[in-house]
Amino acid sequence: MAKLTPRMKNWLEGLGAHIGTATKKGFPTTIVVDSAKVEGDNIVKFQLSEAQVAQVKQNISENPQVALGPGGLGSIRAAYQFKGVARIESTTLVVEVREIYCTKPGPEAALRLDTLPYENIIKFESTRWRDTGPPK
Amino acid sequence: MKLTDEMKDALMIIGAGGAVVHFTTCSADGKPNTVGERFVAVWKDEYILIADMFAQKTRLNLMENPVGVITIAHPVKGRTWAFRGPTTMLQEGLPPDFEFHGAKAKDVLDEWGNWAEKEPPSEVPPDIRPPRLVQRGVMFMKVDEVYSYKADEAGKKIL
Repeated sequence: MAKLTPRMKNWLEGLGAHIGTATKKGFPTTIVVDSAKVEGDNIVKFQLSEAQVAQVKQNISENPQVALGPGGLGSIRAAYQFKGVARIESTTLVVEVREIYCTKPGPEAALRLDTLPYENIIKFESTRWRDTGPPK
Repeated sequence: MKLTDEMKDALMIIGAGGAVVHFTTCSADGKPNTVGERFVAVWKDEYILIADMFAQKTRLNLMENPVGVITIAHPVKGRTWAFRGPTTMLQEGLPPDFEFHGAKAKDVLDEWGNWAEKEPPSEVPPDIRPPRLVQRGVMFMKVDEVYSYKADEAGKKIL
């Protein structure tokens, strides 16, 4: 099971994510939500507007797979991608993260992080980035 | 469809850190992939291109499902646009007359095949700059539609 680090949680909660969804035949739609709430090790909740629910509910219904890229400055400073499955509860998009990737350009792009021991992920982060979350 | 001047300006920022976008592709069986991309430009008012620094999953997805979505990530400044359309990878070695939705691969690569020379990323902070700008080609989208990703009008067609 994927386990988000404090740094990952801070970036997602502070600046939200660009959320990739698709039909089951692979036609993509991306929505953007500017904050999130992380619960437990790997549950990320996004509060959607009615328009956002309308835009993605069919996709999520037929194909719950989603991809998350941290929003705003996180798109470059928090070079992660989170993949998982989602469901819509009222106007909340609930994502269970199952895979975590590093997307930092260079030799470690696409490195899968959730398969590493948790302490190794923490060590990896501390040697690649100096911050622990977005600027306040 | 032609992008507006405001859209072109938002996508193609020279210096000052440049524009950053998220690029979403999808496998043929529906697994999305959403990745931040830093080297973005506009081609002839109708196409968006991103330097291909050896993208991996994105490449596989485009080979089996050639469509993508580009969303502006930073700086946003109210420019909450999502661009969607057929997308491919262009790189050296394609037939000399190869065209993608009216664009000649050779023309695109002649101009943008060496990003490091055309637009050196000197303004990118060292800790997020690629160790060396090694480029395989470009990811190339013909924009078919632009929709808003602003929360209260998400999905509204803009172009």
